[in-house]
Amino acid sequence: MRRRLFLASAASALAGCGPIGSALNNNDSVRRILASAEGLNHFLIGTRGLAREYRDNDVDRHFRVNGFATPPDTRYTDLVARNFAPYRLIVEGAVERPQTFSLAQLQRMPQQTQITRHDCVEGWSAIGKWSGVPLGGLLDTVGLRNDARYVVFRCMDNDGSGNLYYESLDIHQARHPQALLALRLNDAPLDPDHGAPVRLRVPTQLGYKSAKWIGQIEVVGSFATIAGGHGGYWEDQGYEWYAGI
Amino acid sequence: MKVAGRQAIYRYPLLTRASHWLWVLAFVVLIGSGLQIFNASPNLDASDKSDAARRVLAIGSPADGVGTTTLFGHTFVTTGWLGWTDDGMGEKSAHAFPAPIIIPGYQDLAAGRRWHLFFSWIAAICWLAWLISSAIKGNLREMVLRPSDVPKLWPMQAYYLKLRKQPPPHGIYNPLQKAAYTTVLFVLAPLVVLTGLALSPGIDAIANPLTVAFGGRQFARLWHFVGMGLLVGFFVIHTFQVATQGVVNQMRSMISGWYQPE
Repeated sequence: MRRRLFLASAASALAGCGPIGSALNNNDSVRRILASAEGLNHFLIGTRGLAREYRDNDVDRHFRVNGFATPPDTRYTDLVARNFAPYRLIVEGAVERPQTFSLAQLQRMPQQTQITRHDCVEGWSAIGKWSGVPLGGLLDTVGLRNDARYVVFRCMDNDGSGNLYYESLDIHQARHPQALLALRLNDAPLDPDHGAPVRLRVPTQLGYKSAKWIGQIEVVGSFATIAGGHGGYWEDQGYEWYAGI
Repeated sequence: MKVAGRQAIYRYPLLTRASHWLWVLAFVVLIGSGLQIFNASPNLDASDKSDAARRVLAIGSPADGVGTTTLFGHTFVTTGWLGWTDDGMGEKSAHAFPAPIIIPGYQDLAAGRRWHLFFSWIAAICWLAWLISSAIKGNLREMVLRPSDVPKLWPMQAYYLKLRKQPPPHGIYNPLQKAAYTTVLFVLAPLVVLTGLALSPGIDAIANPLTVAFGGRQFARLWHFVGMGLLVGFFVIHTFQVATQGVVNQMRSMISGWYQPE
């Protein structure tokens, strides 16, 4: 009798988790309290250290494709058809010398190669060999103004409802020695599915930070007025802006 | 103080009671939100990166209406329970753990992570505060299994199995309780805390040897899940024993501190 009562109460307590959690999760104060852990973790842990670098034979030859579909619109497919010859990376905002860069110009800049693990927020991991322009070097080329706080990456893909993908890093994260504007994956130019011609690679942060199909880099003092105001497409859906690994 | 005419003992100090109940809350939230996080990628691999060749557990839905669980390469049909389950929106669909036991009770990885990363602080602080205070006060000594307790483990089990009339002589906690508490406090709690730390924001970059010590990132995820499963096992046995061994006395002692010896 007691055992049956115990089992019945245990089962109902278990099944109550989801509905009670849902109700609490819809409360703004609860969400604010829960979100305070992000600020605490950012403050205590921050962006320090280096992501581990791997050897050639650790690389996943078929690197997993995830996230939004490769941009289907003609603006992008034309670029692919013309081998990205008309592509220009726009760098503007709180910089001394706003500039545009062709793919050839980016390829002529000093390059860096890293074999690092990509950790998706979903929980899977893959290892790739990435080459490209260190982001810090590009920021030096354009020169940051004193009011520069964040680097915002605007992408050519959207979620199907017209919301463009974007991401942001603070200046400290953008100057991290492994933050890379990747042009190549696994010894070949980036293919369209992996973010061609230019994507971000930030191995010390979760995968959604490493934005693909970058068209424009804007240096800003605050991202509060951009899209949902949380500093990135997924951040606007409730994911953490501080996404360290 | 007297309860039911007999002398009661003040068994649990306030910090023990407060951390016990806060831990219960954190434990439940961490499991629910942890299963939410698991659902976003319902595989566990004994490797650093994801590797199907080293997959230990996979919960999936190979076709609409079918849920499967694959453990060490052996596949079981678990439709309705795992793989193809209640999604919390009034339908069944391809979700590893069912919505009623995940937090929040529908697919929302972003929210699940926020619950998990907040309550991991609560659980870790509770565990550390209680451990330090108990070590200083000395009541931890009564709970830790000692070499001299080992020969009493079987006689105690025999007593529970009604093969023996009297339990072996022991202090506040019997040898089996000591074994359970020692395992939970000094093996399972450190396992989930350290593997959780290895998976926590920013830690891998500053303390990669911790990730490596558990066999890599995906392996740390596997250990974290295994530690959770064993803690749930303890929780089930513990709750069952409380429920069947004088539930009023047991609950009263963990609420007010006063315990009535038999």
